[in-house]
Amino acid sequence: MPVFWIVLIVLALSAAGFVLGRGRVMAQAQGDSRKLHSRPVYYGWSVALYTALPAFLVLLIWLFVQPVIIQRSVSKYIPDEAIAEGQTRGIVMGEASKIASTLSVAVGQDVLTRPEALTLTMDDTERLDRLKAAQLPVLTKPDVLRAAQQYLRATHIGSLWLGIVTLALSGAGLVFALLRIRPDFRARNVVERVMRGLLIGCSTIAIATTAGIVLSLVFESISFFRLYPWQDFFFGTEWTPSFGGGSKLGMLPLLWGTLYISVIALLFAVPVGLFAAIYMSEYASPRVRSVVKPAIEILAGIPTIVYGLFALVTVGPLIRDWLAQPMGLGNSGSSVMTAGLVMGVMLIPFVSSLSDDIINAVPQSLRDGSLGLGSTHSETIRQVVLPAALPGIVGAVLLAASRAIGETMIVVLGAGAMAQISGNPFEAMTTITVKIVGQLTGDNDFASPETLVAFALGLTLFVLTLGLNIFALYIVRKYREQYE
Amino acid sequence: MNDMSLVEREVTQDDIKITARDVQVYYGDKHAIKDVNVDILDKTVTAFIGPSGCGKSTFLRCINRMNDTIDIARIEGKIALDGEDIYDKRVDPVQLRAKVGMVFQKPNPFPKSIYDNVAYGPRIHGLARNRADLDEIVEKSLRGSALWNEVKDRLHEPGTGLSGGQQQRLCIARAVATAPEVLLMDEPCSALDPIATSQVEELIDQLREDFSVVIVTHSMQQAARVSQKTAFFHLGNLVEYGDTDDIFTRPQDPRTESYISGRIG
Amino acid sequence: MTDATDMTPMSAPAARHTSGSLLTASARTKRRNAAETRFKAYGIAAIAIAVLALMFLLYSIVRDGASAFQQTYVSLPVTISAEVVDPKGNRDPAEMAKVISMSYGKVLDDSLKAWIAAENIQIPDLSEADIKSFFSNEAQARLREMVLADPSIIGETLDMTALTSSRVDGMFKGRVTEASAALDAKTSVAQYQLAQAMKDKGALVTKFNTAFITKPDASDNRAEAAGIGVAILGSFYMMLIVLVLALPIGVAASIYLEEFAPKNRFTDVIEVNIANLAAVPSIVFGILGLAAFINFVGLPRSTPIVGGLVLTLMTLPTIIISTRAALKSVPPSIRDAALGVGASKMQTVFHHVLPLAMPGILTGTIIGLAQALGETAPLLLIGMVAFVTTYPSAPPEGFFDPASALPVQVYNWTQRADPAFFERASGAIIVLLVFLLCMNLLAIFLRRKFERRW
Repeated sequence: MPVFWIVLIVLALSAAGFVLGRGRVMAQAQGDSRKLHSRPVYYGWSVALYTALPAFLVLLIWLFVQPVIIQRSVSKYIPDEAIAEGQTRGIVMGEASKIASTLSVAVGQDVLTRPEALTLTMDDTERLDRLKAAQLPVLTKPDVLRAAQQYLRATHIGSLWLGIVTLALSGAGLVFALLRIRPDFRARNVVERVMRGLLIGCSTIAIATTAGIVLSLVFESISFFRLYPWQDFFFGTEWTPSFGGGSKLGMLPLLWGTLYISVIALLFAVPVGLFAAIYMSEYASPRVRSVVKPAIEILAGIPTIVYGLFALVTVGPLIRDWLAQPMGLGNSGSSVMTAGLVMGVMLIPFVSSLSDDIINAVPQSLRDGSLGLGSTHSETIRQVVLPAALPGIVGAVLLAASRAIGETMIVVLGAGAMAQISGNPFEAMTTITVKIVGQLTGDNDFASPETLVAFALGLTLFVLTLGLNIFALYIVRKYREQYE
Repeated sequence: MNDMSLVEREVTQDDIKITARDVQVYYGDKHAIKDVNVDILDKTVTAFIGPSGCGKSTFLRCINRMNDTIDIARIEGKIALDGEDIYDKRVDPVQLRAKVGMVFQKPNPFPKSIYDNVAYGPRIHGLARNRADLDEIVEKSLRGSALWNEVKDRLHEPGTGLSGGQQQRLCIARAVATAPEVLLMDEPCSALDPIATSQVEELIDQLREDFSVVIVTHSMQQAARVSQKTAFFHLGNLVEYGDTDDIFTRPQDPRTESYISGRIG
Repeated sequence: MTDATDMTPMSAPAARHTSGSLLTASARTKRRNAAETRFKAYGIAAIAIAVLALMFLLYSIVRDGASAFQQTYVSLPVTISAEVVDPKGNRDPAEMAKVISMSYGKVLDDSLKAWIAAENIQIPDLSEADIKSFFSNEAQARLREMVLADPSIIGETLDMTALTSSRVDGMFKGRVTEASAALDAKTSVAQYQLAQAMKDKGALVTKFNTAFITKPDASDNRAEAAGIGVAILGSFYMMLIVLVLALPIGVAASIYLEEFAPKNRFTDVIEVNIANLAAVPSIVFGILGLAAFINFVGLPRSTPIVGGLVLTLMTLPTIIISTRAALKSVPPSIRDAALGVGASKMQTVFHHVLPLAMPGILTGTIIGLAQALGETAPLLLIGMVAFVTTYPSAPPEGFFDPASALPVQVYNWTQRADPAFFERASGAIIVLLVFLLCMNLLAIFLRRKFERRW
């Protein structure tokens, strides 16, 4: 039974439960809602929640667990001999699942009946021809086909039981909740307790996400370090992946490119953003501010792919033709400088709006104190406001740095793909994020170090940015406390 | 009041330091100060009193043009310091504020060391030729504001680490270090406890030796204790101005009388 | 009261420095004011740099992309010769279906040659290849579809508009000049002259390019036919998923944290998590999507459902942070009032606080959605770069069909060789920016309209 229908039926049941529950309690109270503990809708809700929630919970867990169990059971059907040289069990399993879905499509389009699909063999030319005519060709080894059929069978049984279990649970919940209803039943408290549980559940999604990120990065990184020594990854200076084997996967050139580009971006963005923030919060009239501030914030709303294209199509060629080539420093359109400058533009609003907040948090009394002593506005800013705001500004810069390190599209399009350690900013270099994209786009083989290295790079990136963020947030929080 | 004769003598000796004629202040549409005329004497403590929102602080901030920093404030009329109109186009407010220092309601030491707080003014105005000069100014100012003995061993610790009363005296030292001619004080004791208040009041009395001091206060007792001249503001008008003693004992205007006797305020 | 007579005379501070008149600025003041002016100039320069960068960015996108909304078509009488399209001559659809699109090229080529002869246009060196490459491969496919749909038109002469190749199209957009045509293997000077001659005679028309907005992507050698239809639909599906998931979950989480959560370890952990998730690089969410949703759960690659889930997780912190701010801005007096008349905490929140915070929540959600709409990197990792030419079906099944997304389509096109794809990438960005603009305007409108001052 398709999940969609299960969901629909459960929803219908729970709607019916709502009406029944409310009706029942009103009947018991002879239509006088003042005799009830809670308002009648709460009785309806209590039945509806009991009908829907356990069923949906089971449904959700089932959907996550079933594929894992099926994978396990099907995997037994593939003997080790069926796994060809250079292949892994994972690839063969993927093939089996693809064939299983082809077969189920064939059943859906009435090309084969279900029993025919389940008894198909690789020498049954009649059925195979029928499949080919319907543009659903099946071409594989007998072992894999048998695994695929097992897959199909297990999925079918699984979804059948899923339907039975969830609907039974839903019905049971409905009956149980209806029987509980009495005018003195504390329906509102029950509903509110369930609601509270739901609210808590939603707020733990943040934890689940972080856990998911950490687990997926760590597990795949561990399998990478089983295949490739960690010393060579962290301290290797050469990055030459080749899917044929003999790859050198040293991270240092990528780290160098990442840091070089980030430094250029910050060297551009921090002074510009900071001075823009100072001007806006200290000098600009409300009218100027009301025009300039949104204009700068537009920069923050532009997607990074736009900056990437800007770097690739416009800034890269400009820098190459007007700076790099006349100075004889290279003739690459994509370069550290290109990516760094464009990323700098992207970071301006980030630095300026954070600094703006921080400068505004400096109490006016300090400015008055300084102006009252006869200092000029700029002396006040430089000698009183900025020193007072310094911790906050440092925090903002660190946050911007973490942004720069994790930025992907600008470097993918603007920095190039050459993994090298060089001091010349007009040469193409590459970053951690570029290589994550490079290694994970397209068809992946999750057993080769060349693919898995992306997870180790991801873990490095995650730890790096997380460290910067925590440190920055700590500084900013400390700073805020100082003036609260 | 055994010092009355002394006060009388000083008042007659000194010239007029600040003259205000027909001063009007508007905050946007609000007419905050109306037709204020006053002569403030040198080497005297002048107190501005009145109920809150009466315009006394606003008028105080006109004297060193601190109202310039508020966009919607507009000032008309004439205020002269030593006969020179401070709202003249040629006057640089920065130069004016070096002559007319200010101490604020809440102690506002900069987040710097005690030394740097006091040295801030002399540094920006270039008062010291060298480090020794600066050290001397800092010490003199701290002594002048009766803080030297308390902080001389920790001059390089942050000024924000001092107690409230010490912070306010530090702010006074900071203002004094710039060597102003007039010292404006906007309710300098309102954030302080009674002991710190009495220390600051004592200090104000000493400052009269060198400066013309104008103090805004909401406390009539304080005005009576520290000032020789008192001006009473009410709803933006300067109601009455005269010797402190006269104002408190023989007020001419019924509004002053009501305020002093506690009927309005 | 202090006894004035007992006072130790105070040592005068430093010598009075400002003995001069107020009306003349001292040299030092002049210097300091010059420094002031300089400092202010730095600020103005910084703002100018930021604003100029913004304008240059937008200008270059519009400059490169505006032409994507125009397309050049050949407008010719086309004779559909039976010999080509129905070689057996029996009008049997099965037989005719065996004729591949390529052969239909001959129909178009012959018609163009006939037109050249009829108009008596003389172009030296005009080769067979120039004629052949004049039309888009897409035009042949369209013609084939037309004939197969209605075999009665065989043998007729029809007035047709057919898509030109990207090079011919480029001649009218400044991308291909006579000089560059001479160096280009895919076009020639003769073709350039032919195109100009046709333009003069009205046989080439430039029209608004609706196909760009509605049609799916096209393969490498037919840039002129590529569109963003599938990408727009894919992005739309993902936004639906994000809206349906992130808004309720985000609001529920914010309500718990802001209104119910006790101050304890657990709450702290959640708070720290949310703050950090907001700053995790987006590409890490892509890795999560690949490892968790595709490899572990087994959802299909390149589909809006996976993209939507990844973007939901990414958008949640933004929505939670803005929702909490909105809830916080509802004054406690409202809560006290509701609790005071005997409402439960839950009723207070849902009947009073939440409706009052709604405009703020919606504004935050729209801004979160706008962010998600422009996000590219995580989608690359979950396979949204795949070349998809079929529209996903209607939801909910369509959520599981392969689709593209607007920003990913842009990236995809930047990886192709034909410069016409770059024009289209910029054009797609203009569409993307228009969407973002609309969303932000809606957010501003909501904020203005429902802004409350307590």
